[in-house]
Amino acid sequence: MAIVNLQNVTYRYPLTDESVLKNINLQVDEGEFLAVIGPNGSGKSTLCYTLAGFVPHFFKGEISGSVEVAGLESSASTLDEWVMNVGLAFQNPFNQISGAKFTVFEEIAFGLENIGVPREEMKPRVEDAMKLTGITDLADRSPYSLSGGQQQRVALTSILVMQPKVLVLDEPTSQLDPIGTREVFGVIRTLAEKGMTVILAEHKVEWIANFADRVIALHEGQIILDGLPGEVLTSDILLEKGFGISRYTSVARKARAIGLWKNSNLPVTLDEAVDGFKR
Amino acid sequence: MQERLSFYKKRESAVHRLNPLSKLTLALGIVFVSFLSPYYWTPHLLILFAVIPLSLLGKVLREYINAMLRLILPTAGFLFIMQALFQPLEGVELFRFGFLHPTQESVLFAFANATRIVVMVSSFTIFLLTTHPNELMTDLTRRGLPGQFAYVIISTLQIIPQMQAKAQTIIAAQRSRGLDTESTFFKRAGSLIPLVGPLVFGSLVEVEERAIAIEARGFTSTRVKTSLNSIPDTNKDKLIRWSLIVIIIVTLASRIWLS
Amino acid sequence: MSIISENAVYFIIAVAIIVILLVWSYVTGRMRKDFSTTTWVLIPVAIAINIAIGQIVVTLKLPVFLDSIGTVLVAVVAGPWAGALTGTLSNIIWGATIDPNAFPWFPVAFFIGLVSGLMANAGWFKNWWKVAVTGFVVALASAIVSTPIAVYLYGGITASGSSFITAYLLQTGQGVVQAVLSTGFLVEPVDKITTAMLAFAIIQGLSKRFVARLPRPENAEVEGGASQTQLFIAIGVVILLVLFAAFMLGNILGG
Ligand SMILES: Nc1ncnc2c1ncn2[C@@H]1O[C@H](COP(=O)(O)OP(=O)(O)OP(=O)(O)O)[C@@H](O)[C@H]1O
Ligand SMILES: [Mg+2]
Repeated sequence: MAIVNLQNVTYRYPLTDESVLKNINLQVDEGEFLAVIGPNGSGKSTLCYTLAGFVPHFFKGEISGSVEVAGLESSASTLDEWVMNVGLAFQNPFNQISGAKFTVFEEIAFGLENIGVPREEMKPRVEDAMKLTGITDLADRSPYSLSGGQQQRVALTSILVMQPKVLVLDEPTSQLDPIGTREVFGVIRTLAEKGMTVILAEHKVEWIANFADRVIALHEGQIILDGLPGEVLTSDILLEKGFGISRYTSVARKARAIGLWKNSNLPVTLDEAVDGFKR
Repeated sequence: MQERLSFYKKRESAVHRLNPLSKLTLALGIVFVSFLSPYYWTPHLLILFAVIPLSLLGKVLREYINAMLRLILPTAGFLFIMQALFQPLEGVELFRFGFLHPTQESVLFAFANATRIVVMVSSFTIFLLTTHPNELMTDLTRRGLPGQFAYVIISTLQIIPQMQAKAQTIIAAQRSRGLDTESTFFKRAGSLIPLVGPLVFGSLVEVEERAIAIEARGFTSTRVKTSLNSIPDTNKDKLIRWSLIVIIIVTLASRIWLS
Repeated sequence: MSIISENAVYFIIAVAIIVILLVWSYVTGRMRKDFSTTTWVLIPVAIAINIAIGQIVVTLKLPVFLDSIGTVLVAVVAGPWAGALTGTLSNIIWGATIDPNAFPWFPVAFFIGLVSGLMANAGWFKNWWKVAVTGFVVALASAIVSTPIAVYLYGGITASGSSFITAYLLQTGQGVVQAVLSTGFLVEPVDKITTAMLAFAIIQGLSKRFVARLPRPENAEVEGGASQTQLFIAIGVVILLVLFAAFMLGNILGG
């Protein structure tokens, strides 16, 4: 059953002339893990904001078409209702720390306080969420004293604790070092395994190939490809349109040109490449 | 690592255990009484019998004396000297030096005034030393202060050290590029823009993303907010608050009828 | 006693006006719009700007305070009440983290925010010379509001450097209120006009996108005209204002 349903969505930011999303049609099933790729400025963040309700409720601007996520209809609901059902985490970990709290535990409880969860319920929920993301040992630290990767996991936990039906992640690792990136993807994997509906905008295609059930490619506000990771991430169209692609794909493509790569499919990850060359 | 966000000192003490609102009422009560009382010696007695005992009871005497030496006494001393010398009150002249001719009255006036300022600042200082900002804001929010106020106060307390660190970095960086922070007035004034610009714009561009982040956490939710921590409010606390209110009213009345 | 009661009347009138304004902006719903989430996030940043710039100015040993740039900024883009709140909390936080001596002056900061917001709403924050006038009006408000605090709490001579001027005026036989008020009129304009101009410069440097999502983008719309001409007019206006201040001072001191 589709938990996300966008029909002919076109959106333009205020004070601009050009639509940033053009005629987007997108259905995502419950429990599906969808990755969104696209060059800079292609509209990934805007799509994420649309799914999370911030477009148009926060950004204003002009939207047409219909947006339905987790049973809510965008034009008929408020941002307040929306954030109860759809969680959003984004790039800069630092800016996602609320600042209203002195410890990580309190920081994670901030959202629950805001939506009026009773105190007895709050503690176990925070503890469970921290266990899930593996940050139990950070509970008493100041959120500002953490590394980027830790902060991003705190941000994710702060969203998860609100028990969203859909989780939208906008390049959550783009400002992290390799260690932080691995930590955060570790959490994302756990969530995917638990059957969470996740929509992830991401540049790092090798990671996507590991998790995603499906990938869409955005280009100038339009979905130009939609399919399985192995197909979309190795498509020649990505090369033409200036998408970032995996170096293993590039190597194999070169190898194929001189007859060294014999498989019909191109690889995305190191393992696939190694496998392919072994044969 | 605990950054210094406010004057607060974590201790186990009777004062620390009081409800934050009781402490706030206490601090304001002391200030009101010292300013409103019609009796000359009230502020002096308040220091001896309220401020100092409170700092002992709250186990913050050392920090209090520290603040006294650093912040309170210099101000009060300056105030006392200026007022004693320049307050043109008629009365018994003490001495004459050039155009200065302080009188006994002006010295007494200056002494009372300076002491009142000492009482005021001391009482705030002890309040701050014994009250964690988070407890205060949680308690006030529970009593009906909009949650946004707690957000503003606490996030400001956390932004300031970051901002100061950034300011130091910028000053150092600009200095190494030959920025003038020492010489003539115009050069120093001209330095202001390159220092302030990066600081201000850097922090303003983050505002939008941070607004989105807290909205995503239900900041504008219309439901009744709850709170993770419960702040004790005992009968003793209520008694303290009500007695202080009575004391303030009595002082006000005595001020009106006795003077 | 009679002087106190007369001042009490002024005080009550001032409070009543504020309450009426407050109720009015609440009832019209303007308040709700002004206090958007973005405003709530902007306020702590503005307070931190106040404090950080205030301290840089001390480092540079400049003879001004410039500790309300953030307050004016918020007042312009988010309205007088957001400005007033920024000023008040700025003072309280300055008191709670740096120097508790700052607490009693919070009404001054409240009015700096309120008045600059009202001026901006009236369209007086759109070019250099108008901004100079706003700065001057804010300075007057600030001088007037700080007078009763200085007089009642400190007996006239406060702990700031400018109280040497007050002390001098007292020696020349001026009454306490006149002396304090004149001191305020002498020292405030330079500081507040500079503050307003710096806030204006910051607002001009913000991207249109960003300003458009604040509650009152119309207050920050810059009026056309060559900026150099504007600057000359601004300087002219400042000189006129200084002359006007000197005239008022003469009147206060003479009367
Ligand atoms: N608030 C805004 N107002 C106006 N235009 C905007 C706004 N935010 C983004 N845009 C424009 O919309 C387009 C799409 O931006 P978006 O941030 O969605 O792209 P993106 O794919 O996330 O890019 P990146 O990889 O850099 O994150 C860009 O041309 C951008 O300039
Ligand atoms: Mg983006």
